Amino acid sequence: MPKSQYVDPGKAFDAGYIHFEDIPVCQYNKTLKEELKIYSKEDMMRIYRDMAIIREFETMLNEVKTKSCYNGVEYNNPGPAHLSIGQEASAVGEAYCLDINDLSFGSHRSHGEILAKGLSSIEKLDEKELYDIMKEFLGGSVLAVVEKHMNAGGNIKELAINFLLYGALAEIFARTTGFNRGLGGSMHAFFIPFGLMPNNAIVGASAPIALGAALYKRSNHKPGIVISNCGDGATGRGPVLESLNFASMDQITKLWGMDGKFSDGGMPILFNVFNNHYGMGGQTRGETMGFDMVARLGAGFNPTQMHAERVNGYDPLAVIDAVSRKKKLLLEGKGPALLDVVTYRVSGHSPSDSSTYRTAEEIEAWKAADPIVAFKAKLILGGVATEDDFAKMHEDITARMTEIMKLAINDEISPRMDLNKDPDAIASIMFSNEKVASMDPGREADVLCPKEECPRVKEIAGKIRTAKDEKGKPVSKMKMYNVTDGLFEPIIDKFYEDPTLIAYGEDNRDWGGAFGVYKKMTEAIPYHRFFNSPISESAIVGSAVGYAMCGGRAIVELMYADFIGCAGDEIFNQMAKWQAMSAGILKMPIVLRVSVGSKYGAQHSQDWTAICSHIPGLKVVFPSTPTDAKGLMTTALEGTDPVVFFESQRVYGFGEEFVKEGVPVGHFEIPFGEPDVKKEGKDVTILTIGAVLYRAMEAAKILEEKYGISAEVIDSRSIVPFNYEKVLESVKKTGKILIVGDACERNSVMRDMASNITEMAFDYLDGPPVVVGSRNWITPAFELEKSFFPQADWIIDALHEKIMPLPGHVAANNFTDLEKIERAKKGI
Amino acid sequence: MALPIIMPRQGQSVESCIITAWNKKVGDTVEKGDILFSYETDKSSFDEPAPEGGKILAIFCEEGDDVPCLETVCVIGQDGEDFSAFIPKSDDAEESAPAAEAAPAAESAPAAVEATAPVAAAEITGAISPRAKILAAKTGADLLKAAPTGPNGRIIERDVQSLLDRGLTVSGAASEGYTTAVEGSGINGKVVLSDLAPKAAPAAAEAVAPMAEYVDEKLPNIRKVIAKSMHASLSTMAQLTLNTSFDATKLMAFRASLKGGAEKMGLANITLNDMVLYAVSRVLLNHRSLNAHYLDDTMRFFNTVNLGIAVDTDRGLLVPTVFGAEKLTLNGLSRAAKSVITEAQQGTISPDKLKGGTFTVTNLGSLGIESFTPVINPPQTGILGVDTITRRIKEVNGEDVSYPAMGLSLTFDHRALDGAPAAKFLKELCFALENFDLLLAK
Repeated sequence: MPKSQYVDPGKAFDAGYIHFEDIPVCQYNKTLKEELKIYSKEDMMRIYRDMAIIREFETMLNEVKTKSCYNGVEYNNPGPAHLSIGQEASAVGEAYCLDINDLSFGSHRSHGEILAKGLSSIEKLDEKELYDIMKEFLGGSVLAVVEKHMNAGGNIKELAINFLLYGALAEIFARTTGFNRGLGGSMHAFFIPFGLMPNNAIVGASAPIALGAALYKRSNHKPGIVISNCGDGATGRGPVLESLNFASMDQITKLWGMDGKFSDGGMPILFNVFNNHYGMGGQTRGETMGFDMVARLGAGFNPTQMHAERVNGYDPLAVIDAVSRKKKLLLEGKGPALLDVVTYRVSGHSPSDSSTYRTAEEIEAWKAADPIVAFKAKLILGGVATEDDFAKMHEDITARMTEIMKLAINDEISPRMDLNKDPDAIASIMFSNEKVASMDPGREADVLCPKEECPRVKEIAGKIRTAKDEKGKPVSKMKMYNVTDGLFEPIIDKFYEDPTLIAYGEDNRDWGGAFGVYKKMTEAIPYHRFFNSPISESAIVGSAVGYAMCGGRAIVELMYADFIGCAGDEIFNQMAKWQAMSAGILKMPIVLRVSVGSKYGAQHSQDWTAICSHIPGLKVVFPSTPTDAKGLMTTALEGTDPVVFFESQRVYGFGEEFVKEGVPVGHFEIPFGEPDVKKEGKDVTILTIGAVLYRAMEAAKILEEKYGISAEVIDSRSIVPFNYEKVLESVKKTGKILIVGDACERNSVMRDMASNITEMAFDYLDGPPVVVGSRNWITPAFELEKSFFPQADWIIDALHEKIMPLPGHVAANNFTDLEKIERAKKGI
Repeated sequence: MALPIIMPRQGQSVESCIITAWNKKVGDTVEKGDILFSYETDKSSFDEPAPEGGKILAIFCEEGDDVPCLETVCVIGQDGEDFSAFIPKSDDAEESAPAAEAAPAAESAPAAVEATAPVAAAEITGAISPRAKILAAKTGADLLKAAPTGPNGRIIERDVQSLLDRGLTVSGAASEGYTTAVEGSGINGKVVLSDLAPKAAPAAAEAVAPMAEYVDEKLPNIRKVIAKSMHASLSTMAQLTLNTSFDATKLMAFRASLKGGAEKMGLANITLNDMVLYAVSRVLLNHRSLNAHYLDDTMRFFNTVNLGIAVDTDRGLLVPTVFGAEKLTLNGLSRAAKSVITEAQQGTISPDKLKGGTFTVTNLGSLGIESFTPVINPPQTGILGVDTITRRIKEVNGEDVSYPAMGLSLTFDHRALDGAPAAKFLKELCFALENFDLLLAK
């Protein structure tokens, strides 16, 4: 909601019509003769060769899956294989137009795209570059296999083709010599040095990730375009539609830029739909969708209609024609674009597909139109090559493929990961655990003014960094350095230090984030690094994943933690998993800020730390003081791992109550995983998660004053990772522990901690570790919240009833076993 | 040197025995060989003689206690000897183990001192937090005096602390035998060894006989075992009984001849029953389904005949086993049978000899029973009942001739075999018994 754009009621109701341009449908009609003026005969033969290699690769996998034997070589592959026989012309046509700088993202059916883009890059790279890439990749281990065991006749390009085919196949067969050490597999294989970005087993999941890659290029002024490949079935998915919109948003051309220049133009992304007519077995046109043709979608997203077009994907030259025109538009800053490439998957969705949803007649008709056969006929007719030339080519391809397969299934040459010998092989790549101050060192960050002139920085400089002044009097809210300041300081510092850092989310810019963390930052940070996103949680988080894959660092924000569900796949399957699925090749420096609400009822008040910490691959922290907010945010922004950064709306305005000297000035880090003793005590330990810290302090005070019990209060601060040592030390001292948090008690992090503490401190316990969490209900209205969220008296009652009865205490809340059994019986 | 008397292990499979009676009490003087106490396993009962003379210094178990084998039961020694090293270790101080009985200190009056009533023991649920337990172990806090203040009567750390604050501890020497709270006489009320007084002796006078015209007697262990296995046998198997008889003329004649020459030949007193056992041990191997165990989905056929012999004892039915009966001579079998029967009747038989039978013979003939339905001893598949001899008439050359007929009642498990094979076994057995001389010649 930039003030520069006036929303005029005088014009908002103007009468008129929306006009649409015609969307071209298979308008390509050039002859071979015309094309031979642009492309050489060698180009034509290479196009054919690439299609034939893909066909043979997929045929080999099909034979292995269905007959456990290819060309006399036996092998059993239990893993997935989603083949694309029939779609070769679409993949090769697209890849033909792409350069090394152009990035291609795909789906679960992407062997063809990987090979096509790889072969295209091999053609475009010079021999030295090519050899260096192969030599450097994974310490040269993949290259070593093909160099040693295959004869490329001293030809680097031939060697590179062997390298590509072997690296991909070894990956599919889960070998450590695969492109991702066998940890990605068939549906996730990729090879970044060739511009081959990760593919995805979640339908449509690549769209927001590809969007993020385009965002990286756009925000960091990097050359090249991004291709987001998906099938027609994926266009039914929210993240895809969100990405089409996100890429099309007006601000990119209207507001982004520096010093009044908007030269970078629109998002450099081509959404390329390989329209094979089926989403698994569901027929998109005629059954599961209503668009008639995928290309129609373009008209729904922006006035350029995304330059949408429908293309004959059975003709590689038609695809080349279309993709090269779209690429030109993108490089001119006129993106995004959309292509509807009509093709057909002759093979089943997977080898177990019995094609119950289509007739044999239909398959046969498409087989008769086979793009490879048709292209060969065209080339023979046009005098480009003879039948014999093609026969020879096929013979070579089959021989090469057989050799590659033998290498890839050889357990000595292509071993699998040995988790007995190296039990930490996977554990060691779950997190990258690096400290990188700038993801693009040396480059100057795009900013609008020196940091000292940023109004918020100036404002904070005048604030008092403690909650109480020297005389012990509370500092006025306006003058007090609070939690939002603690979050802001490391973020603004990083904006000036790391040119790749971007921050976005709903209402981030002018509003300053719904809770004011980014307040008064617009004057310092330009739009292309700090903007309001559409209300598209999937695209927000998914694009951050793509942004990080390209080497950038992002802070994205979901406003309320309750919206985590809207970005479920992006958080749990993408952000969490790519570091390990890439065998540590990718880094994921993302801070996902989520805020736990109160006062806003059932869908705006939930602490979902348990859900996030359940998923391997995410770091999860939850500070509640300005000092902890600053220290943990600094650490999150220095790191290279994905962090879900929980904040609480209850405490944004709180000042520093625990650190006497106040919140430290300047850079300082609080290591992840270290809980902090907020108050020392000797009789009972209270371990808190999040903002409940302040209610625990209140309980500790009552215990002290009324019952003479000295409580030690420990703020967990981090959830993943978590160092239990300090907590165990405390429990060994007190023998009693309550674990308190605002999350619904069932299956919460508190329960997990209670269980671990019981295991590790059993002999020191004077009673069971007791969890005091919220009720397993919906969060009621603010006025009823005291019956829902843990309060100080709940903590005391729980101690009284479960661990150590307090003389004279009368419990108001029921923590007895009977009550617990009853609640559990009812599921409440 | 004080001598601990342990509960003997009667057979490999026996883990504990029940003390059925004490013949001596603490302070009694015993001679070597005096019976100290009687005890029983689930199948046998035994008497434990004193291995040496001396004074009973301590008794750690009461009548009716189930005592783990090899655990110390009592201590014999000389007045004033320290026996604390022999006090059985208790895993759990709170466990409601019986009070240890200790000899009064030499200078104390011989009369048993009544133990002080437990202070807080009655409130103890047995629950104690790990932390409290460890603290108590470390400090020797007198847990029996703890007033639990934790939830559900749990002793928690502060309860132990409170004991320590009041100086309520138990000395290391006394701690092991200390299971009922007493006032301590040590410093700060510490319970020391000398505080562990014996419990008042059981009232000398028997309880007045009840007026009602019946007496309730707890079933002895062995009766419970018999009841259980008999019921299990009948409720889980498909039992039926075939009755027959054979002409015992020759058998009886042979027995008479044996009687005459037994002494000269050094033979045992071979009875008719021994001869039946002998015939069974020979014939049985031809009928493997009856020399077998029926185990759920498996039949276990034996290559040897381990003959169970049902014996009526004062304590109830016992079935000792003669192992490898088919390899014994008639004389050997007779001796072996008499030996185990005697042991069973005296209650001294090893439990290991009360197991392992493959077929059983039971004899009610001596009590005049003409026919009955023996109950199989599972998992065996058959049992032969030997009946009394009656005179019967049979036609020989057109004339009625009377002869001694001995009845046989075979119960078999129809799950394991059918009627015809069972009948064939009986038929062959009758033939062997009617032609016992031929059988011996084999």
